[in-house]
Amino acid sequence: MKNAIGREIPERIGSREVAPFQGAFAAIRNDRKLARYQKGALRDEDKVLPSIEAAIEASGLSDGMTISFHHSFREGDRVINSVLAACANKGLKDLRLFPTALFPAHAVVIDHIKAGVVSRIEGSMNGPVGAFVSQGGKLSEPAVLRSHGARWRAVEAGDVEIDVAFIAAPQADSYGNATGIRGTTPCGPISFSTVDAQYARKTVVITSDLAPYPVYPMEIQQGWVDYVVVVDEIGDPENIASGTLRLTKSPTRLLIARMTTDAVVHSGYFVDGFSFQGGAGGISLAATKYLGEEMEKAGIVGSFGMGGGTKMLVELLHRGLIRTILDGQAFDLDAVQSLREDEAHVLMDPGMYANYDSRGSSTYKLDAAFLGATEVDLDFNVNVNTHSDGMLLHGIGGHQDVASGAAMTMITIPTLRGRIPVIVDSVTTVTTPGEVVDVIVTERGLAVNPTRQDLRDRFLAAGLPVRELADIKAEADKLIQPVRRPVFGEEIIAAIEWRDGTTIDVVRKVEGFE
Amino acid sequence: MAAGRVAGSDAKGDCQVTAVSAESRLIEIQTKAKDLLEPGIQAVVEGVLAQFGSPNLAIAVGDFGALDYVLAARVETAVRQALLVSAPPQIAAILRSVSEPDRPRRSRLYAPGNNPRLLAGIEVHGADCVLLDLEDSVPLAEKATARILLKHVLAAIAFPEEVWVRINGLDLGGEQDVREVLLGRPHGICLPKAESVDDVKGLSELLDETEAVYGIDPGFTKIMPIVETARGVLNCAEIAAADPRVVMVSFGAEDFTRDVGARRSERSLLFARSMIIAAARAAGIQASDTVYSDLADPEGLLLEAEAARELGFDGKGAINPRQLATIHRAFSPTNDELAYATRVVAAAQEAERSGSGAVALDGKMIDRPVLERAERTLRYGERLGKGGDVA
Repeated sequence: MKNAIGREIPERIGSREVAPFQGAFAAIRNDRKLARYQKGALRDEDKVLPSIEAAIEASGLSDGMTISFHHSFREGDRVINSVLAACANKGLKDLRLFPTALFPAHAVVIDHIKAGVVSRIEGSMNGPVGAFVSQGGKLSEPAVLRSHGARWRAVEAGDVEIDVAFIAAPQADSYGNATGIRGTTPCGPISFSTVDAQYARKTVVITSDLAPYPVYPMEIQQGWVDYVVVVDEIGDPENIASGTLRLTKSPTRLLIARMTTDAVVHSGYFVDGFSFQGGAGGISLAATKYLGEEMEKAGIVGSFGMGGGTKMLVELLHRGLIRTILDGQAFDLDAVQSLREDEAHVLMDPGMYANYDSRGSSTYKLDAAFLGATEVDLDFNVNVNTHSDGMLLHGIGGHQDVASGAAMTMITIPTLRGRIPVIVDSVTTVTTPGEVVDVIVTERGLAVNPTRQDLRDRFLAAGLPVRELADIKAEADKLIQPVRRPVFGEEIIAAIEWRDGTTIDVVRKVEGFE
Repeated sequence: MAAGRVAGSDAKGDCQVTAVSAESRLIEIQTKAKDLLEPGIQAVVEGVLAQFGSPNLAIAVGDFGALDYVLAARVETAVRQALLVSAPPQIAAILRSVSEPDRPRRSRLYAPGNNPRLLAGIEVHGADCVLLDLEDSVPLAEKATARILLKHVLAAIAFPEEVWVRINGLDLGGEQDVREVLLGRPHGICLPKAESVDDVKGLSELLDETEAVYGIDPGFTKIMPIVETARGVLNCAEIAAADPRVVMVSFGAEDFTRDVGARRSERSLLFARSMIIAAARAAGIQASDTVYSDLADPEGLLLEAEAARELGFDGKGAINPRQLATIHRAFSPTNDELAYATRVVAAAQEAERSGSGAVALDGKMIDRPVLERAERTLRYGERLGKGGDVA
């Protein structure tokens, strides 16, 4: 069957029935769900166990079960690899891995897949694991990718039942209260795991800094935690900034950032109380910096900036240019420090950020957002998951959540990456549908979604270089020979879920090239 | 048969190409995302080889994200080395319209001619003149490769405003520079260290000859002498008036301060700047100020640009696209200037209608140069779209 944006979706994927995507806000839910695992405790239970192995035993983890993790340490994480090694030692098989995200640091997952320890993955696969899975035939069921908000929803809805949640906690007490912003190796918020802790059958907090009761802020609360394990090392905070966090020097990227900022300034949203979210890519960081300069010039104070917290965002807070930061994850250590010290730097979990089945998402309060893409197409659809060769190499992150939430969503892209065009006729994979994308900003001008004539008029009146996306594409295409397109087979590598649990697209195995 | 030296580099946006003679034609391509890119790269290589009669060469390409024009330039360089061909082959170039002498040239943006990554997208930043450089930014060993690259840049990219090439001194490779890059039909050639009428005449004659050979309209290619020595400054009146091709004189402060033994300051440059402006005005052409080389100091750039504007300069050099907005702000007519110019022109029209010989505005006489200046301001304003905040 074809879904609402014309993508071919099967009725079943693996063992699951699939609901096709019907539109960004097609169905609003109004019912009761009971997915939470209920368990009581006596007054003097001791939760501290000597090792990860002991926790695995105590939790009753067995073959075929689902284990979950957060990604707050990104490239510095040690816990996923340690837990999987312990599972392998115990001879466990067919586990379903349910991380918020995997990174190149977790390439050892490939060995666990080969050995049969892991047979299913639901979560972002950044880099080598994604490349491996893309080859096809590696997992017993296709992978499922969800946005930050959609993952939260899926747990609450019982779409994914977690058996054991393993939570890397930079600081915890022996009763299970835990935080990511304190301790000897703080990584920033760990509240991606809040919903896991609440809904898992068993929850294991793993810490390298066991502190006296009570540890705060209680991102993870005692009432959700079964076991606490103390280990030497859970992660290296120096690696939470994963590569992209540099202010770019590329004139092309700075030009895109400049144009993005100009568009924000002339959008009509740039008034006192303005709010925005930018990512951690070079263009976003530069745009955040420029935006701060424009706010200062115009005497505008923003109501909030939304994180991933970065040094750049913290500077805006310290200069009084935004009143608040709402922060779900820290992209550098400056943000972690600010979370401890600045009252107005507020912790936010993904449920508050962007749970579709909730009565309010912070993303819906955003005026402007600037996001990246691997590809965009002439219908303004955005791909952040696959490359033009069909390889699944990135997660969704908050892309869908922010794009559908912000009043003005801008995609900031160079028209070419090397010899590979970024603007294509039809994206390889739809992560975010064109209906929630308003502006595409490139070094060759900006294109406005035809549904946003209001923005187009404002940009033209301000003298911004508004152009048709097809014209920008044609200009870039002149610089390169046409790129060969992959030919996809029947096998489905991964399903891309929309925020509401419907399927917006699937990633199929590449069988060859045109 | 020459040994296959590597053309290009392994830097991002570049590629490395070697060509050696072989029994038959052989093309070997290494690149990321080979499945996607190999046929396209192959097509570019074959296109270049066809220009040389498809010789039997073994071509090896290591691609690091080179665009077609970079790839074609590197292949051409390697093939010419292998076949010992020095004369450049024809190239299908974008046809440009001839440079209008008095168009706005608020900025001339330098781009190093040997660096594909910095050349990529150089046309999108809104510079009034892009100045592709073969002189100071290109090491001696890379001159020959760079001039072929720039020819391909010129042939492939439709620059929205003007594109110029700064060549080397005519006796330092500048002649080969001209013979190569003119195939790409730049709007003009920048002549560094211009010191005399003969320097300009020499270039103009070379252009006459080359234009004739390449079928370019005689006089199409303009000249921008750069005055950057003591002799150049003293002779700049003659340099500016040396040839009808000359549309602008530029000042180069770095070499000038070295030449005269000065420390760079507003004071030490004042004489040279004033000389150049007077020379340009006397010859009826434009003058452009030197670059401001501290990229990290936009305030300093703005002060220097505004001071240059005050002296009479039409524009200023830029070493990075980031400087363009500031420079354009300084050299665009302000809204007040546009309003005043409108009133001056209206008063002149009114005087003509009423048959009165003298033009007066607010009780003051408007003489010919003021009127001409006002008309020019309006032309600029129209062209630039609006007032002083144009970036």
